[in-house]
Amino acid sequence: MFPRSISSASSRRSARNAAEPLRHIDPWLVMATAALSLIGIITVYSATRGAIPPYNNNFLFRQIIFVFLGTGVLTLFAIVDYRKLHDWAWFFYGATTVLLVLVLVLGTEVNGARSWFSLGFIQIQPAEFSKLSLIGALAFLLSDFRGDVDGRRLLTCLAVAAIPMAIIMGQPDLGTNLVLGVITLAMVVVGGAKAKHLAILGVVAVIAVVGVLNSSALAEYQRNRLTAFVDPTTQSAYNINRSQEAIANGGITGTGLFDGPQTNLDWVPEQQTDFIFTAAAEQFGLLGSSIVLGLYALLCYRIWRTAQLARDWFGTLLCVGVLAMFVFSIFQNVGMAMGIMPITGIPLHLMSYGGSSTVTALAAIGLVLNVHARRFL
Amino acid sequence: MDTDSPRLRLSILFVVVAACFVVLFGRLWYLQVMAAPALAESAEQTRIQEVFIEAPRGRIIDVKGRVIVDNRTSLIVTIDRKKFKSDFKSSKQDELLAKLADMLTANGAPTKVSTLKARLDDQRYSDFQQVPVATDVTDEVIHTIAERNDEFPTMSYERKTVRVYPYGAAAGNILGYTGRITAELKDKLVTANDPDGIPKTYQINSTIGLAGIEKQYEQYLRGTPGVERIEFDSKGRRVRVAEYQEPKAGSDVQLHIDMDVQLRAEQALSERLAVLRNTPQRDGAIRRAPAGSMVALDPQTGGVIALATYPTYDPREFINGLSQERYDQLQNVNGVSALIDRSISGAYAPGSTFKLVTAVAAMNNGLITRVDSLYDPGFYEVGNPPQRFTNAGEQVNGMVDVIRGLSISSDVFFYWLGARMDGTTLIQDTAASFGFDKATGIDLPNESPGYVLTPAEKRELVRKYPESYQDGNWYTGDNVQLAIGQNVIVVTPLQLARAYAAFANGGTLYKPHVAWRILRPDTDLNQPIRSSDVLETFQPEVVGTISMSPETRDAIAAGLAGATVGAGTAASAFGGWDMNAFPVAGKTGTAQVVNRADTSLFGAWAPFTNPRIAIAAVMEESGFGAEAAGAAVRRTLEVVANQRLTDAADAPTVGNKD
Repeated sequence: MFPRSISSASSRRSARNAAEPLRHIDPWLVMATAALSLIGIITVYSATRGAIPPYNNNFLFRQIIFVFLGTGVLTLFAIVDYRKLHDWAWFFYGATTVLLVLVLVLGTEVNGARSWFSLGFIQIQPAEFSKLSLIGALAFLLSDFRGDVDGRRLLTCLAVAAIPMAIIMGQPDLGTNLVLGVITLAMVVVGGAKAKHLAILGVVAVIAVVGVLNSSALAEYQRNRLTAFVDPTTQSAYNINRSQEAIANGGITGTGLFDGPQTNLDWVPEQQTDFIFTAAAEQFGLLGSSIVLGLYALLCYRIWRTAQLARDWFGTLLCVGVLAMFVFSIFQNVGMAMGIMPITGIPLHLMSYGGSSTVTALAAIGLVLNVHARRFL
Repeated sequence: MDTDSPRLRLSILFVVVAACFVVLFGRLWYLQVMAAPALAESAEQTRIQEVFIEAPRGRIIDVKGRVIVDNRTSLIVTIDRKKFKSDFKSSKQDELLAKLADMLTANGAPTKVSTLKARLDDQRYSDFQQVPVATDVTDEVIHTIAERNDEFPTMSYERKTVRVYPYGAAAGNILGYTGRITAELKDKLVTANDPDGIPKTYQINSTIGLAGIEKQYEQYLRGTPGVERIEFDSKGRRVRVAEYQEPKAGSDVQLHIDMDVQLRAEQALSERLAVLRNTPQRDGAIRRAPAGSMVALDPQTGGVIALATYPTYDPREFINGLSQERYDQLQNVNGVSALIDRSISGAYAPGSTFKLVTAVAAMNNGLITRVDSLYDPGFYEVGNPPQRFTNAGEQVNGMVDVIRGLSISSDVFFYWLGARMDGTTLIQDTAASFGFDKATGIDLPNESPGYVLTPAEKRELVRKYPESYQDGNWYTGDNVQLAIGQNVIVVTPLQLARAYAAFANGGTLYKPHVAWRILRPDTDLNQPIRSSDVLETFQPEVVGTISMSPETRDAIAAGLAGATVGAGTAASAFGGWDMNAFPVAGKTGTAQVVNRADTSLFGAWAPFTNPRIAIAAVMEESGFGAEAAGAAVRRTLEVVANQRLTDAADAPTVGNKD
């Protein structure tokens, strides 16, 4: 599948025609990304402007800025040959790890979690960036292993994942850790981990989850949130109930933009971030939210396809990591809004309000576009 | 198969991703299509609050179309007590109340801060209710509060319709009163629909009829509450009125009651009782005369023309709730309760008014004919050793037949009939056919049934209540006493009036009905009422017949007609009455009560032929039948007969007693 080594390919091809990659950019992925970002901006506005004048435009303007910023990062991550980024993988990993440690010391505490750097008008959440840096580091390692992952190599990968996860646990931020865990799992599976090892890993994971839920490692509120989707009568289920009512209120055709009573009267909490899908579903109905989900499906399919087409192990693994990040974010976030997944605050990438998550998502798309564009090089 | 192939593993990843999306689409379909109706409704409950607007109740109208109970709008200043107490320190509270008091005073309602404070702390209102602190304020007050809400925080106003009574306290016992619904009452209620089929729901603050017609005809009188469905955002801010449904007034209830007769009956009762309390009677005694009642029926339909009771209450006092102190006062007016309607729930021995029934029983069963007579020596003896029963004052009446017996009320004649019917239940059976055996079923709450004991029932009483009744044997003496309406019989004034009504119309026993018909809300009463305005008419309801031959009826009727003239026992009450123009037939009664002065009774109907009214009066501890009850009835009949020849109260007291 991958006959050429990375170093030889990069030196030979890129030297020949530097402009050629742009002709192979994936138009579908660009289209889906642009459409989702635009729908995201509109939905964030509808969820935050308030029901009665004076309307609040703050979130709208900021999200537009985030998308512009993210588009810049996307361009950068798409243009610079990903095989050059390969050499920077450990730098990114190290830098993010330092930021993660710093945020524990210098970060601002919000809702009991110390996850943000507060820089005046803007807040930065380094845990978001750690998703990308982990993808880079694991892709570096696993591409080196070239599909031959024995027990020791697997443990090395797990250790690389465990370092940021342990620091993030200190914030605490359960949601991001779940994403990192799923990214790691997907990458080691595709990267060549043995079925036997994976089985052991699976058993350990199940024991760990059950153990954590039954131990005192989680605060009572966290446990309640995680189990609320099973028992809809608890206090923690309030958010989920409001969210499902709002989605149902959309019906087939939706209530129309700014006419979603549950959304526009602010009955769904955190609707610009964790429950952004709810806002879209109420206002745009089954038709609109199907288009949103369809666009995400298209996006995931294009990422998966790029993983298949990639010229080398590193490209494939980058795409698999990004795919895992998106799929889990979509399934967990949308699933939570619809009451079939536990409550954990994971942003819906590309749609949820938030600078760090938007920039991270667009940068990740940039990487995939990069791999796709250079699949013949 | 090579499980380590990257291509295969990518395919597995594809399947997992695809499965995730299938699950999400499936759930989305479920929420937005299958479960959508139920969930959307619960969404609505989350953000929409329903505020109900109480509708005006229907009016109560008399038989001639005059409004007895109406509504008016009252403007009320309210305070959100919970918010008021939590938002402001007590010094600020005083300041705000002082400001309100000044503003009310400046607008023509002099108010003290202490009054406002007392009303604010009224414990009849829960913390979740707006507490009314000033009622019947002017429009200016309302506008000030609405426009300068920053100066009058937590204060608001309500427009409420309240009952008004153009006739004042009159007919209070019939009309009853309304009050705030209780939670307990609300749970038990069955909600009626208005003429358009919309349910007339009750809310926590709803007004409900608690007594009289207001209670009995609640389902018609209650209006359809208006609904304001208000959309709120999550911060509790009012966003818009999503739906507004106008409140609709309740249906009007038109009664058989004739306010002319009703007012006169009440006046006659209270005046007569006052006279009795202040002047010695023939025997020199002054009566306590604390209470009385009068019932007038239409003998042809059972319609209730008047229903007076004394003492009584003023329904206006109940509008804003009655204080415990006032309630206690009403419980004890001259030693008796004013909250009891004696006309339907008072229980009295009928005394000689019952001789009507005994006479029918005897003649129906062939014991006597119209010409059979008995020498009345003033006493009658039964049993061995003989037990002696006497006329009042042992008056010797000479030869007495049934006609004279009724007119002059010879007890001896009826003792004789009672003794002859001993061993049978002929009197009890006849009493039952006159409707004395059970409650009449009048359309008012709290009616009493009365009783007429049979030998079997007397035995049963002793078995059941050995402490109160010792001797379960039925003696001839019991039958003798029953014949003159004493000892083993208790009736209500309503039963008595209905018995005379049934005899007067030839023997048809109707269920008495206060309400005549239901009219469409806001029917124009200045025009003749059109049939399209009538929603429902309560038809006369026959509940029994008294079988008697024309000979029997004529003889007894003649006896009763004789009572109001000449040597008749009621002649004194009808002094100066034009019996040709409006002949009255009736029977007095002076019933003995243990340890108390006699009850005065009178049962009558008029005109003698084609009767238009049957009437009964019962006055407690008031002495002879004619002097109290007879006089009050005469006074009342003046309105019906359009006669006023002399004042009954001044009529000379001559002729036979009882």
